[in-house]
Amino acid sequence: MLFAVTILYPIGRALEISFYNWNILPGGRSSFVGLHQYGLELHDPIFWRSFANAAFYMAFTVPLQIVLGLAVAVLLDAKIPGRGLFRALYYLPVVTSWVVVSLLFKYLFATYNGFVNWVLQDGIHVTHHPIGWLDTRWPAMITIGLLGVWKGIGWSMLIFLAALQGVPEELKEAATVDGAGAWASFRNVTLPAIRLSIAFVTVMLVIGGFNVFTSAYLMTGGGPQQQTEVILTYMYHQAFQFVDFGYGSALAFTLTLVVFAISLVQMRLYRRKAVGVARWS
Amino acid sequence: MRLRLLAFGLPAALIAAAVVASASAHTDGVARTAASKTTITFWDSYTPPTETGAFDRVIRQFEKLHPNIVVKPVHFSYNDLQQKLLTATAGGSLPDVLRSDIIWVPQYAKLGVYAPLDKILPGFKRIAKTVYPGPLATNFWHGHYYGLPLDTNTRIQLYSRSALEQAGFNSPPKTFAQMRTMAPKLKEKGIYVFADGGTGGWNVLPWIWSAGGSLTNKTYTKATGYLNSRKSISGVQLLVDLYKEGAIPNLILGASGALQTSDGAPQGKYATILDGPWMFPIWAGSYPNFPPGVARVPAGAGGSVSVVGGEDIAMIKSTKHAAATKAFIQFMLSPSAQLQMAKAGQMPVVKSVGAQLTKIHSYYGTFVKQLATARPRTPSPNWSKIDQVLNTQVANAISGKETTAQALTAAAHQIDGLLK
Repeated sequence: MLFAVTILYPIGRALEISFYNWNILPGGRSSFVGLHQYGLELHDPIFWRSFANAAFYMAFTVPLQIVLGLAVAVLLDAKIPGRGLFRALYYLPVVTSWVVVSLLFKYLFATYNGFVNWVLQDGIHVTHHPIGWLDTRWPAMITIGLLGVWKGIGWSMLIFLAALQGVPEELKEAATVDGAGAWASFRNVTLPAIRLSIAFVTVMLVIGGFNVFTSAYLMTGGGPQQQTEVILTYMYHQAFQFVDFGYGSALAFTLTLVVFAISLVQMRLYRRKAVGVARWS
Repeated sequence: MRLRLLAFGLPAALIAAAVVASASAHTDGVARTAASKTTITFWDSYTPPTETGAFDRVIRQFEKLHPNIVVKPVHFSYNDLQQKLLTATAGGSLPDVLRSDIIWVPQYAKLGVYAPLDKILPGFKRIAKTVYPGPLATNFWHGHYYGLPLDTNTRIQLYSRSALEQAGFNSPPKTFAQMRTMAPKLKEKGIYVFADGGTGGWNVLPWIWSAGGSLTNKTYTKATGYLNSRKSISGVQLLVDLYKEGAIPNLILGASGALQTSDGAPQGKYATILDGPWMFPIWAGSYPNFPPGVARVPAGAGGSVSVVGGEDIAMIKSTKHAAATKAFIQFMLSPSAQLQMAKAGQMPVVKSVGAQLTKIHSYYGTFVKQLATARPRTPSPNWSKIDQVLNTQVANAISGKETTAQALTAAAHQIDGLLK
């Protein structure tokens, strides 16, 4: 019931609204336009740019969060002094407010009077001119991505850490007895043992990557000149700035379909791999 | 697993839920009458304490004259009011009357939220004759007036005397030509001749109009042939040329962390900026030793033409207290109410009050002169989209991605589609 009310009903209504030039006034006349809003998307360069930006963010943040999260998890799985403290420190960014850290990053990477440019220009003198981190498309997307990675490593670390603790010690010992080094043992024993966790983290991060909103909205607002729009900031602007709820809903529904389709493909791929591993073993 | 995928895989649907929730709920938010009195609710974005205090005094005057009406003001910040109006429209919980940004009027008139005052307000024609035509025009959409101007403002040239003096000037540029001449001399002293914080309509229309150009035709149905006319191009070209010469800072293109105009002028880094009357109380607090100079927008081939800002008073069509609301609107347009609000920094729209303004604040005089020729932005429900197009294309011209003619032709083509 809860699922139907909070997920299915909004999806259905968003789909319905996307077929209209929607008048938000209750009882107001909304004209039916069929698939027109979806047709507009195809010819809208900002839609494609926002889609490409979201895809870039996903492609930039997901591998880094997995690799770095796994590396940190392996390190913190070892019996090192202060392990508990380090685990808490790495997880700390996850529980900080998106709004606070987005505004902090905005200050750090500001072209003028920003901390990063101050270090680069006045500290270590690697540039004579301030770098416009947030003033042009790709540097801005990388900066937004860096925040995503910094904030997300702790989450993937936590999942991997839990998975690593479930890897049977006997398997690792057997590999060592068979002459496997640390890397060979990690590659052939640990990685296959935590593959389901890797699949879970990948699927979730891909979904989260396409749904980037708060950091992009607060750090650049989709600007300058809509260069850093991602799908959700573009949808937000359409609905809440331009009061074009029909097109906004079409964007939301399109994103939903894309993310759903990509997630299905990912899950099938992982399932096929899992079956392959099971047959092989 | 599929269920989990659905549950986790559709965060976009949650945002869609917000869209839907705001588009479907319906509650009656109209204030109830207390005893035999009628209570009307007024939403505004007056700044506390000066403006809200003055408004409270105006309300008390009104309530003395109309003992059976109680006015309940609800104050918001500007951004909150914009969001609140949108969600309240969807939720059916609107006030009776509000102080609306002039650029919202066509949008909410089209939605059927604002009432056409020229059809229902007694004495509308008489009141309309008492106000400045520019602010009045901001209420016009599809043959009717969906509000009346409440307060107005415009952008004039505010300048730093010390910055100009450093380069040997004792007055700001009066024309486009003088701007070009003064720019290199100011640059030698490390001073920008002009600075602005964007390339939208509020920023660039004064230059286009002063050059003799326009955004659209007079009936607001076509931009091609107008925005990309020779005169319009020459207005934007002035900004492009000055930017290329290093006489305008990249604040205009949105450089993050760049020195804002509100700091750059009093610090003597920006010789001139265009801004409104609200800057004076701001500077009185943050830069008490900065006496800003005031002058009209530099004139081009089309004269000195600025852009109308300000707010309109709009009646909600669905109000259950139409008579009381109309009486309040009429009162707010009276010279006494206008004068009271002028003392709190709200520029009046009633022409007869204009003569008394310089007694309140001397700088009002230049604003009144500028208002005589100031024009409204295109009254269109799609203004936000039009503004976005203009913002992007003029930025493309200034940054050199396109020539000014190419950028404005592309903008005009896109705006044509938004004017239909």
